[in-house]
Amino acid sequence: MITSLGSLRKVKSTQAGSGLEAIERLAIEPVDLIVLDLNMPDMHGMEVIDFMRKHQAYRNIPIVVLTTKGEESSRTQALAAGANRYLTKPFDPRQLADVVGSLLNAS
Amino acid sequence: MDNPNPDNRGEFFDQFLDDYYAECDEHLVSIRRSLVALEDEINTATLDRTLLDNLFRSFHTLKGISGMVGLSAAEQLAHHLESYLRELREGTVLLSNSGFQALVSGVSLLESVINARRNDQPIPSIDETVERLQTVSSDSIPGKTSEPQASESEVNATRWLIEFTPTAELAERGVNVNSVRSRLQEIGQLIQAKPVVKAAGGIAFEFIVATNADKSALVDLETDGLTFKPAPVESAPRAKDNQPVATIAPASVVRVDLDRLDELMRIIGELVISRTRLEDQLTELKRVTPPGLWRSLQETSLSMSRQLRDLRESVMRVRMVQIGEIFERMTFVVRDLARESGKKIIVQLSGGETEIDKFLVERMMDPLMHLVRNAVSHGLETIAEREAQGKRSEGLLSLSATTAGEMIVIKIADDGRGINRRLVLDRARARGLNQGSTEIDDAALLDLIATPGFSTRDEADRESGRGVGMDVVKKATEELGGRIALATKLGEGTTFTIELPLTLAIAEALIVSVNGQRFAVPQSAVREVMEVESASTKVLENNEIISYRGKVLPLLRLARVFEMNYQRGEKFHVLVIGEDTNAVGLAVDRIIGQREIVMRAIKDPLAQSRGIAGATELGDQRVVLILDVGALRQLAVTSQH
Repeated sequence: MITSLGSLRKVKSTQAGSGLEAIERLAIEPVDLIVLDLNMPDMHGMEVIDFMRKHQAYRNIPIVVLTTKGEESSRTQALAAGANRYLTKPFDPRQLADVVGSLLNAS
Repeated sequence: MDNPNPDNRGEFFDQFLDDYYAECDEHLVSIRRSLVALEDEINTATLDRTLLDNLFRSFHTLKGISGMVGLSAAEQLAHHLESYLRELREGTVLLSNSGFQALVSGVSLLESVINARRNDQPIPSIDETVERLQTVSSDSIPGKTSEPQASESEVNATRWLIEFTPTAELAERGVNVNSVRSRLQEIGQLIQAKPVVKAAGGIAFEFIVATNADKSALVDLETDGLTFKPAPVESAPRAKDNQPVATIAPASVVRVDLDRLDELMRIIGELVISRTRLEDQLTELKRVTPPGLWRSLQETSLSMSRQLRDLRESVMRVRMVQIGEIFERMTFVVRDLARESGKKIIVQLSGGETEIDKFLVERMMDPLMHLVRNAVSHGLETIAEREAQGKRSEGLLSLSATTAGEMIVIKIADDGRGINRRLVLDRARARGLNQGSTEIDDAALLDLIATPGFSTRDEADRESGRGVGMDVVKKATEELGGRIALATKLGEGTTFTIELPLTLAIAEALIVSVNGQRFAVPQSAVREVMEVESASTKVLENNEIISYRGKVLPLLRLARVFEMNYQRGEKFHVLVIGEDTNAVGLAVDRIIGQREIVMRAIKDPLAQSRGIAGATELGDQRVVLILDVGALRQLAVTSQH
């Protein structure tokens, strides 16, 4: 569903089903940007953000949080931890594409 | 024990049982406190060692002493709780959410079993809870193989630290974090899985597995580039940011019957009265005593007064208990209710270290519990309702306590749906309680819902074990010389604020006179005192009123209430009691002064009278009646029609 966005914009995308898997992807292939859900099995999205921001190699990879948790505290927390954007589901695919595009162009 | 047979109970055994119950109470308090702290550590790999040790010790003691009094249900239950704790302590199982729930229900049941014995009621069955504890003892990791494992053997499990470094090559062969994880879950219990960054900057995953399998089961993994070694022994208790959990060390505590403290307080009360008498006599002596001698007498009297105050405060401090003990009990009730009703609730506690007189705590326990139950059952919405309104899915219930002067302020606040005024008014109208107004403020709303027999709930809901209604809450608060206030907003939540005097025994009071008779009015109840000219009062439908801060204040003439003859003077004094629109003015002739009074309840039913809370003695040995402000206000409200 979200993967299909990539083909639209000449962006190669890969998926991970959990927080640990996401970090595994980081380890084995170069990643320019992460679209991250907060509610995941085994490792919460916030932990993934913390992990990435703590380590030199992943500190500058943009993170877009895309989640159902819409409340202000979750947004503030995620942004404070180092997420670049915070979008909530249901989302507008064009909006996600715009956000991803602008973050990729900026870096 | 000479005779451990519980059927052969003598006086000695009764005494022994009393000690047993008291000791159980202490351990249960300490257990609840530790559990509240432990809840933050669910699913973490390294649990706070001190907490576990405290819990383990308490369960162990409870097991031992329950065995001694022959209460085998408690002994067994404590045994299973202890066993689970042992496994947690040794790290062979992870504290899962269901494990924690099993602990909580085990503790609740343990308390019920002990109370059942204390009240000579049938002992509840422990089978189901024991089974739950056994289940969590050997199955804390979801996805673990279902082959039955004796919990004894798990104690001997070895913990291995396995490191996996993912690469693109391995991933192509299907060796990835998920496949490694499921292989490890087949070997033993997965205790931890976390990513780490290696010195070179690469990412690796560290797993900790507890297993009885020997090394050979792990050697296979090496072919896929995994390394393993025995996991480092659990580190020392990790430093916590917050204060260590205060636990009562039973050895350094002396148990004293509250009655003995009451007796001590009574003697101090006598002393206060004697000193007041001494002061009066000193004043009389002034004319006939040489000034030097009189001054030194007065100095002695003053220093005695200070010492008396110190003594009084020390004894009061002995009677004080931390309100946190109650808050923790409530947390448990909330947890149960939340689970039953499928709501998610976060309980916020603050000011648990605030101290309050033991007597007040006992009296307020049920009313406070009622407010908490109400907040959970009726105030806070279900997850779906909350999400539909854009609120966070967890309801917030906050319990807080602070001291303000001589009062303790307890707040019970929820961010739930608030009280629907329209429903309350409709209900009131149906019961003939409402005079047709469509707008009411919070204070009037509280008065309505606290009317005896008033409830906006259906009968079925009231069946659910709520023993007291809002009327009882309000009455209990007022009887203790306290006040209760309500603030509610539809869709945003409800806050009850209860103010209570720190202690009951000795209070500051205003001494007033009515028709030559003196009365004491507890100062905590009086909002304002003013002088009024008789000419400025009006009579409206048989009620005397004055204007007060732009509003109408009904007057209650004490002389009339107590059926005394009285002459209207040109001026009189009014004590304003009650909140805002529900305020009432007590009309008295004169304010004599402010005194410390020692409260005495009037126990003789022949001498009891509505509107009188008790009696006290001032220095001149004459008895002064203490007014029951709550009852008087009620009298004023009901006589208005």
